[in-house]
Amino acid sequence: MASDIRKAETGSPYLTDESKMVGSADNIIIPETEEDVIKITEEHFACGRPITISGMRTGMCGGCVPFGGDVLSTEKLNKVIGIGRDERGYYVRVQPAVTVRELNEVLRKKLYTDLTDITENAVGSLLGEGTDFFYPVDPTELNSSLGGNIAVNSSGPRTLKYGPTRNWVRRIRAVLADGCVMDIKRTDITAEGRMLRFRTSKGEREVPLPSYDYNMNVKNSTGIMAKDGMDMVDLFIGSEGIFGTVTEADLYIVPWHPLISNIFFFPNDSSAYLFVEKIQKSDINPEFLEYFDSGSLNLLRTAAEKDPNLNSMPGIPDGAGSAVFMDLPMDDTLMSNYRKIEILSKSNGGSLENSWCGHELRDREKFFGFRHSVPQIIFEYVAGLKGKVPKIHKMGTDMSVPLKNLGRMMTVYSKTLDRYGLEHVTFGHIGNGHLHVEIILKDMDNLTKAKEAYRELAIKAIRLGGSPSAEHGIGKIKREYVELMYGKKGTEEMKKTKEAMDPRWILCPGNMVEK
Amino acid sequence: MDTLPWKHGGKMRFVVFVKQVPDTSAVCTDINGNLIREGVPSILNPYCESALNMACGVKKDGDVITAVSMGPPQAENALFRCLELGADEAFLLTDRAFAGADVHATVRTLSAFVKKFIPDYDLIFCGKQAADGDTAQVPAELAYMLGCGQFCYTQKLTLSGEWKAVQNYGSEVRECIIGKGDLLSVSDEEIGFRLPSAADYIRAAGIEIKKLNIADIGLDTFSVGLKGSKTKIVSATPSKVSRRGAVTDGSDPAKAAEHIRDAII
Ligand SMILES: Cc1cc2nc3c(=O)[nH]c(=O)nc-3n(C[C@H](O)[C@H](O)[C@H](O)COP(=O)(O)OP(=O)(O)OC[C@H]3O[C@@H](n4cnc5c(N)ncnc54)[C@H](O)[C@@H]3O)c2cc1C
Repeated sequence: MASDIRKAETGSPYLTDESKMVGSADNIIIPETEEDVIKITEEHFACGRPITISGMRTGMCGGCVPFGGDVLSTEKLNKVIGIGRDERGYYVRVQPAVTVRELNEVLRKKLYTDLTDITENAVGSLLGEGTDFFYPVDPTELNSSLGGNIAVNSSGPRTLKYGPTRNWVRRIRAVLADGCVMDIKRTDITAEGRMLRFRTSKGEREVPLPSYDYNMNVKNSTGIMAKDGMDMVDLFIGSEGIFGTVTEADLYIVPWHPLISNIFFFPNDSSAYLFVEKIQKSDINPEFLEYFDSGSLNLLRTAAEKDPNLNSMPGIPDGAGSAVFMDLPMDDTLMSNYRKIEILSKSNGGSLENSWCGHELRDREKFFGFRHSVPQIIFEYVAGLKGKVPKIHKMGTDMSVPLKNLGRMMTVYSKTLDRYGLEHVTFGHIGNGHLHVEIILKDMDNLTKAKEAYRELAIKAIRLGGSPSAEHGIGKIKREYVELMYGKKGTEEMKKTKEAMDPRWILCPGNMVEK
Repeated sequence: MDTLPWKHGGKMRFVVFVKQVPDTSAVCTDINGNLIREGVPSILNPYCESALNMACGVKKDGDVITAVSMGPPQAENALFRCLELGADEAFLLTDRAFAGADVHATVRTLSAFVKKFIPDYDLIFCGKQAADGDTAQVPAELAYMLGCGQFCYTQKLTLSGEWKAVQNYGSEVRECIIGKGDLLSVSDEEIGFRLPSAADYIRAAGIEIKKLNIADIGLDTFSVGLKGSKTKIVSATPSKVSRRGAVTDGSDPAKAAEHIRDAII
């Protein structure tokens, strides 16, 4: 097979992502096989020519946006390969461009006919299980590729219960900068202290890891992971393509259990927050806790007026000034959970009557569509602004803080942004201390202010024990926050790791660290 | 003011007949064009959901909405949805003998149920057709068997002195007065789309879905199901549809649009 190579013309979708940052490249190269990836990488390595790896380009930080060289799009490496089983359970072997949605469709519809047995009779035995299985990481954007998810250690609502992508990766196969292939399972290669030593087809390699303590107490995708004795699989997860192109991965899956989606409405922002606080102190175990502030609900109301089919949901109740979205297991705990929720919501101005629930797949999909439409409306708004203000890009926070500091951080968000006179809406993963604050930009002056405000917020989040980038990664847009988090020393150490993995800096240059 | 001669004690009995169907929007085909049914959820037929929503829209305190379905035990889920959305009680007519029923046998079963269990009903609501069968004959034949008036393509029901059904035939919109015992069939898929609240769910979970078999309804095996059906399928051949895929990369939207235009014209 040979790669499809085409000129990267101005306006090509391969030159941008959902951050709306626009880059430039000479060619778009679309390999069909891993051999193609190896060949392209070897050729580029030989002449020191940059390659930017591109998945489905739903990233928010310009990670797949090229600045020179060529784009390598994984889009044709899009097969679900097979099923295997080990002591932890079943896993699916995928190529990188399979999307989260596609993987879950294959599992739900049991489209197993073309899948191979990675371990003996794994496909048959999965079919024989009485229950459905699913891949539990839900990065909200279900059209994102699993390769992209691994590259930024994606997480989302379900991280509350299942953790981020990192927790679900069993094995990674990646083409390194010089074209060597690494095929590693967890525990195959672990660091001695902060030094990774391994062999490739081209000889022994030593890769020093940064000395900083990677914050694992909150959702975090700032910088590469580093810790004593680290597993090499973890080096690739969250590395934003700077160490290699992931060409295959094994991802664990889990049995599905019936869930009921719920959205509870509250009169104002603080009532929803207080409700969430109480839920977290109770013994109710929702699969996730998502928050919509009054601004987000108004955004949805206005968008639904323009497009009644926006998310196929009923109109948001008139008095609703905030909302909390959660999935609850539909088992024998449900009724007692509802009874507890009734008390907790009443004490904060809500009620079981003032809510929506849905347990059928079609309804649950609508709930997720509703949640997804908040960032989507903002993306479209920013894309619309581009005509008038070409240099504008989206400014949304992706900061996490420990739960105990979330209330303080929420006050910091609104005080800081009000001080700068910036309109904003807040929504997202409140259960993980991780809200997205989207700044509604109007012009370049707003963007300049937003950047200053963002920096202040990032410093505050770090001081409160959090991370400036919890799930979207750093890419090119958030590079300065790496130094805020790890200092000059940590940044220099990251560069040393990059240098040892990719001495010519050809892979995704500009992501996380600059030469 | 209530001027209806047939509305006693201010209470109305509405019966809504519903069917469970596969979610046709979730059905896909494999590369050979065969339907993949695995993993396709069953849902309340969208037309029936509209019929229920129409009944709920006119329901007043004290009125009773009864949802009824003939189907296998799992059709209980469709009835549960009716309860969540506002039905007060639900009956599932379920018996092996009911399997394989054509329109005639279905209607005989449904009408026997109404005559025996809710003879004093005020109005019957049906969906225009089932999304999986598409015959659209059950409501009309049921009205015929019950000897009541039938109002197809009903889009709206209003009460001001009298009950009026607005029927939309596409080329003509009619407003007709309806009377006690009449049957409406609803042709819109999206009338009054609502989601239940958590409180609705809890209320529904507390209502028992009553199951009735052939003996309960008082019919014999030759009147129902396959044996009671008048339609005999002599042979069936799948119709062949040939599809040709074409890919356009979309990097130049104008070219892609041209490509699609050329392909369809
Ligand atoms: C509406 C919306 C909501 C979102 N919500 C969330 C959310 O809740 N949580 C979340 O985590 N993200 C979220 N995202 C961001 C985005 O979906 C994720 O970052 C996703 O993982 C990106 O996947 P992708 O395939 O689009 O990658 P791309 O954007 O194409 O690339 C992302 C990065 O991964 C690298 N990369 C891609 N494929 C490979 C590969 N095979 N090997 C090595 N490197 C690779 C790229 O170089 C780049 O640095 C959201 C995006 C949108 C548009």
